[in-house]
Amino acid sequence: MTTSRDFDGCVARIARDGDREAFVLLFDHYAPRVKALLVRTGSSPVAAEELAQETLLKVWRKAHLFDPSRASAAAWIFTIARNLRIDSLRRSDRAVYAEDQAPPGDDPPQPDAILSGVQDGQRVRAAMASLNPDQAQAIEMAFFHEQTHSQISQTLGVPLGTIKARIRFGMMKLRAFIEREAGGLS
Amino acid sequence: MSLRRLPGEERLLAYAAGTLSPPEAVVVATHLAMRPQSRAWTALGEAVGGAILDKVDPLALDAGARDGLLARLDTAAPDRTQEIVKGSDPTLPEPLRHFPLGPWRWRGPGVYSRDVLGPRDGDCRVILLRIAPGQCTPIHTHGGVELTCVIEGAYATQDGVFEPGDFEEADASITHQQRVVSPKPCLCVAALDGQIQLPGRLGRWLAPFVRL
Repeated sequence: MTTSRDFDGCVARIARDGDREAFVLLFDHYAPRVKALLVRTGSSPVAAEELAQETLLKVWRKAHLFDPSRASAAAWIFTIARNLRIDSLRRSDRAVYAEDQAPPGDDPPQPDAILSGVQDGQRVRAAMASLNPDQAQAIEMAFFHEQTHSQISQTLGVPLGTIKARIRFGMMKLRAFIEREAGGLS
Repeated sequence: MSLRRLPGEERLLAYAAGTLSPPEAVVVATHLAMRPQSRAWTALGEAVGGAILDKVDPLALDAGARDGLLARLDTAAPDRTQEIVKGSDPTLPEPLRHFPLGPWRWRGPGVYSRDVLGPRDGDCRVILLRIAPGQCTPIHTHGGVELTCVIEGAYATQDGVFEPGDFEEADASITHQQRVVSPKPCLCVAALDGQIQLPGRLGRWLAPFVRL
């Protein structure tokens, strides 16, 4: 079983050696998941297929910008797919989102233990598992079908304020969990 | 509730998830560029995105997709890093440098605005607003949500003072007036949803001039 840490290593091997075997491992795991996530986000299967391929092509080309001390490979690939989807919807290549992770040292120092904690995919999944079901559902729904909070509120038949509160408290709980697990550096 | 000058966690999650409209995302991105502490929440949101990506049921790609892509790996990527967008302002925070800007237009005494061209969503669009020291925007309410991030200078509303990097969210229930309290002009970026409605007789008088 390949763990998420191995995928971080695959990106590093691509950056260092242009390692095609590492790329194949990443492709086989993530391309079908990116496609599935995009379909659940509202993309047509044809668009999702194209965007999944473009996402993996970007992974290959931008591997040198991946910083495993700041994000997991999964989170990094997620942001590449997210940005490609948004720019394709806008039919524009002027990015609304910052394109890549800035190279280290280019950024003001980051304030918290959260950033030394979120790079571990396993820890993030454990934090998600610690949420109560309502909070987890509200947070996960925010990722699908381009759902606005009002749409989530309608779908679930729950007031908008309640949805926002579930997301807010859920996010705080995730952050506290991850900071504690990461050693509470702040 | 105390005055909040940062976007809410739920809005930062929506930014990370990619579900904000482009105009809203540009204003949030400007805030994030100026206030790294809010990036903790978007980094968390992106980590959640990664966790969701890892657990989603995979959907097979077309046959031959992998070989097709492997054959493309050695083709050079178009290099756009050095490209300067014509009509943009390189002194603005980084997220605003991607877009050409419209001309400054007079909107009332000491008030000018210009369009940030590109990010639109129906009626929702992005503008830069420049207000002279001591001047106010006309009192207005909003058809929808208005997001504002201060870039330079400072303004005050009845809720308090907003300084560079501060983020303000106003919706249809809020009637407010922003008065510039800094010695230099206040420059803001705002996402406006729908036309600003100006209440009262002054509003009707100003309406033809201040169609923001």
